[in-house]
Amino acid sequence: MTALLTLENITVRGRCQPRLDGVNLQLRPGERLALLGPSGAGKSTLLAVANGLLEPDQGQVLWHGETRASRARARRRQQRRIGTLWQDLRLIEELTVQQNLNAGRLGAWGWPRALLNLLVPLETQACRELLLRLDLEPGLLVEPVATLSGGQRQRVALARLLRQEPELLLADEPLASLDPRLADGLLALLLREGAAPRALLLSLHRPDLLAGFDRVIGLRGGQVAFDMPRSALTPATLTDLYADAKGAAGVG
Amino acid sequence: MLLPAAVLLPLLLLLPQALHGGGWELVGQFAAAALQPSLDPLVLQSLLRGLAITCAVALVGWAVSLVLGVVLGLASARVVWQSLSGRCWPADLLARLLALPRSIHELIWGLLLLQLIGLQPAVAVAAIAIPYGTLVARVVRDLLDALPRASLSALLSAGTPAPTALLTALGPPLLPGLLSYGGYRLECALRSATLLGVFGLGGLGNDLLLSLQSLQFHELWSGLWLLLAVMLPLEALIARLRRHWSMPARLSLGPQTQRRPVGRRGRQMLVLLGSLLLLAWGAARWLQIDPTQLLHWQPLPPLGQGGWQEALALPWPSLIAGTLLLTLTAAALAVGVGPLLLLLVAPWRQGRALLQLGWMLGRLWPPPLTALLLLFVLKPGLLPAALALGFHNLGILGRLLREACSAADPTPEQALSSSGSGPRLALLYGRFSRVARSYLAYGAYRSDVILRETVVVGLVGGTGLGSQLRESLSSFAWQQIGLLLVAYALLTLVGEDLSDRSRRQLLGA
Repeated sequence: MTALLTLENITVRGRCQPRLDGVNLQLRPGERLALLGPSGAGKSTLLAVANGLLEPDQGQVLWHGETRASRARARRRQQRRIGTLWQDLRLIEELTVQQNLNAGRLGAWGWPRALLNLLVPLETQACRELLLRLDLEPGLLVEPVATLSGGQRQRVALARLLRQEPELLLADEPLASLDPRLADGLLALLLREGAAPRALLLSLHRPDLLAGFDRVIGLRGGQVAFDMPRSALTPATLTDLYADAKGAAGVG
Repeated sequence: MLLPAAVLLPLLLLLPQALHGGGWELVGQFAAAALQPSLDPLVLQSLLRGLAITCAVALVGWAVSLVLGVVLGLASARVVWQSLSGRCWPADLLARLLALPRSIHELIWGLLLLQLIGLQPAVAVAAIAIPYGTLVARVVRDLLDALPRASLSALLSAGTPAPTALLTALGPPLLPGLLSYGGYRLECALRSATLLGVFGLGGLGNDLLLSLQSLQFHELWSGLWLLLAVMLPLEALIARLRRHWSMPARLSLGPQTQRRPVGRRGRQMLVLLGSLLLLAWGAARWLQIDPTQLLHWQPLPPLGQGGWQEALALPWPSLIAGTLLLTLTAAALAVGVGPLLLLLVAPWRQGRALLQLGWMLGRLWPPPLTALLLLFVLKPGLLPAALALGFHNLGILGRLLREACSAADPTPEQALSSSGSGPRLALLYGRFSRVARSYLAYGAYRSDVILRETVVVGLVGGTGLGSQLRESLSSFAWQQIGLLLVAYALLTLVGEDLSDRSRRQLLGA
């Protein structure tokens, strides 16, 4: 089976030291991969390269075994299959939940439907089912997102992501600002939605939340420190990953 | 906040010298006629027709400027170019080019087009649409570029085509700010259309001027009250809609921090906007506006030999100094007198009501008419011009001040009053101190508008570049006109930059 996403020898230069330094990574459909590492290890940079926001200085990114398209239209078609859950969610505050959910479809829709989405509710049934799947009240559809609670907003952002029907879910520390109960709930949803046929790549800073993942990659100083199945992970490996960083914390 | 009112002192000293003997009787007649407007059906019919023309011109000019402004605003916004092509410089280039038509007052546009094209209904509309359109474009550009881009970049990185992403991520947050500004521009358009009428471009302004010149004060007041009857409900309606849709108020000039949901209100706004544009279309048909008229230029008189030398020989330093002095005096009057008067009348209810009425008249009343009226008792020169401009802008700033004061938190004032301070001190410490910064910041912006407006009173024989422009226009001295316009544009651009800086400083942004 070809990998969904392949990073080959990726290097991204930084101001003093490389932010990523020769990183190799393969992600197959159905894999749920956690990215661990101290602050400044390059987790966010790696995710930005993976979703195409950042062009690596060296190395190449393969999507389904092919290089990234250079023409805008083909590139957009690739992008559509990669969904990102942003740490700041990036919802459109002025719009209702339903309009925000449909924003996930904009890549597939043309101009007229995009305009119509701002004026009338579209595809209510599909949106309603998504909310139910994420344990949200369907009544929320007509609410402006600005009025929702923090936990609801997280789920709406995830719902928008699923509306995009991506093959790969990316999330950069999605649990960072959540209280433990919300964090557990969101993680469970992400693990469920990231299961086969999709794949999930998620960065974390809490090693205690690794239970549901298939594979774990440790990043340190822009390099891969380890890449192993979660079952093979020992407390010693983790201690090493963070212990080293303490010495170099000032470099961040 | 009260400091600018210090300009009253030198003005009061100058006043006795500028007074000339006659005319007090006329002023008395004028004041008395306020309560006895002419009700002659013939007069009223003619005034109503003039009013309809003025309103139609304002509406059409406004609608065209809004469409033009949104298109140009989008085309000069960095975020748009950045998302579409990854480059920013075309946006900056266009924004710089647009500064030129913006810096020229609508009246100059009107008179220029009048000379070039002749008296056509399209002239007044274009005179409003050109400067207003570029003003709206600047606001649209600033609003767009100040919006947070996180949701836009989220949509873009999910493979959304740039135009659709821009529409969905930036359209909804742009709409309230745009409509709030658009509403304000509609009020301005009505004032401008009246003003253009005073200078012969048709409508009620023309009737007002003729009545004033023939000393028919009763007819003059009929026209003014009619204008008031349109202006007041319009202002009230716009303020109401602004509250209803919780749009940004005008005195909050700082970056908008609070993002409110649009949701279903967005649809109401779009419906309203659509019906206004339709109404404007109807008004354009009624005025028989034919845009192709704008392409039929009248043959220009040949450029005279030595015209450039004559143009360069104009007394430039004194012209520019006159314009600047006029601006500063009028701005100080407009900014400083409002709070002072509000403080003086604070204890009396009737006084406050009377003040509101005075400010309303100030807004309504075209400054050149005030200047003409003042010429009954004053010698021509800087003083009547500054007073006329100051009075008009006082009306605009006064209303803003009142709105801001009534929106400000009343508790500090109540605390002061209950501890035994007089009503004036309580107002000064309790409320003025809160709104002072934003009021002064708006005053800085207004000074830049006043600089542009000096041409209006200049044209009725005041001082500065405006009066010279009038002479040059009437003698078809195109070289002089060209240089004067350049001087005006440069002055306005420098003024705009200065007022922008001081505003940013005041708002601490």
